[in-house]
Amino acid sequence: MMKKICRILSPLLIAALVLGSVSVAAAPIAPGSDLITTQAALNAEHGQADRERIHEILARDDVRDQLIEQGVDLAEVEARVAALSDAEAAQMADQLEQLPAGASVVGALFAVFVILLVTDILGLTNVFPFTR
Amino acid sequence: MTSRRFRHTWNARPAGVLALVLLMLTLAGCASTPRLAETTENRLPRQALLDDVPFHAQRDYQCGPASLAMVLNDGGVDVEVETLIPQVFLPGREGSVQPEMLATVRRHGHIPFVIEGRLDALLTEVAAGHPVVVMQNLSLPAWPMWHYAVAIGFDLDRNELVLHSGEEPRRVESFRRFDATWSRSDRWAFVALPPGELPVEVRPHRAMEAISDFERLQGAAGALPAWEILAKRLEDNGLAHFGLGNARHATGDATGAITAFEQAVDAQPDLAVAWLNLGLAKREQGDLAAATEALERAASLPGHWQPHARQALERLEER
Repeated sequence: MMKKICRILSPLLIAALVLGSVSVAAAPIAPGSDLITTQAALNAEHGQADRERIHEILARDDVRDQLIEQGVDLAEVEARVAALSDAEAAQMADQLEQLPAGASVVGALFAVFVILLVTDILGLTNVFPFTR
Repeated sequence: MTSRRFRHTWNARPAGVLALVLLMLTLAGCASTPRLAETTENRLPRQALLDDVPFHAQRDYQCGPASLAMVLNDGGVDVEVETLIPQVFLPGREGSVQPEMLATVRRHGHIPFVIEGRLDALLTEVAAGHPVVVMQNLSLPAWPMWHYAVAIGFDLDRNELVLHSGEEPRRVESFRRFDATWSRSDRWAFVALPPGELPVEVRPHRAMEAISDFERLQGAAGALPAWEILAKRLEDNGLAHFGLGNARHATGDATGAITAFEQAVDAQPDLAVAWLNLGLAKREQGDLAAATEALERAASLPGHWQPHARQALERLEER
């Protein structure tokens, strides 16, 4: 019985939630006026589906959690999330682990040292300052 | 190692060495000095050096904040590396990621424009006085060593680039070595400019996204000079005028907004969204005849904005 109710209820619930967020995401109207915003026009121009837009908007919560997890100062988290564009927030939420982080350290073993030394001399890499 | 000797002393070790040497030679074959387009070569000065770009030496892993401080200081933003570290550095990754490099520029009132990943584009910006933040992988893809640096000069006769990089101010790198390390980040590079300045080569859609993202954070008043100059530069681009119209409208300049929307539809008569905003702005002004005319144009154009336009038209008729 319970299962049956769930089976009927969950799609309805999902639909309600999705529709709820669509109206938030798809509303291209700036507060205080009903002109179409530049961002909305650019998104439409780009052929961006509402589904993607919803994803981008929800991404900010993920990014917030991830920044905290990465050890970012709590006082800074909100401002850092706010400064991201929607597309950047989505990129951070989806692939923060894979994004290259500029740090200039090699996380490699000694064996790699020799290879990198040779590639440095060949001018393919730039790890050791003394090879130039 | 001659082939004869090689045949006589066959064992795994020389074979391995040979394989490695061959691998290196193939790799080296891939990396060659990048060639500039002839037009670029003729346009650029033989040498350039942006002497005024301050240098900040990086401390442990913090080439991101240091590079940002250099370009922001050069653009007149008074910000220290210490301030930037908590804003862009990710302790868990011991580095800074590209989206946050751009976002932090925005926080400090400048607009980050990602430039095209070609040496031509990079040198063109440097020659125009814009220091360029570049991302490199100084090592090999398997053991990456991601690094941000700031390109500040070049010498075409010697095929050399000058960078403020890591702990070394004015480091000289050959175009060949630089391009080998830069190509591993898909040649990612950006300039950070105050609103009202644009990169030399404007990629219309990218530039509009950049300004619009900035506007979202810093408001229409902050972005207005950027829209003004973009609309001037991209005269034939309806969306640029459209963005200008919105920024003017949001800062209370209704007449200016209407002028910009009119220029948008002049430039691109099929730009439905510009007709739509023109109509809505006219309606706010109380010019119902002009509003109806513009909204009818918007409603006649098929596409994303057609339902919006029809709705607006209905609402106008109800009045």
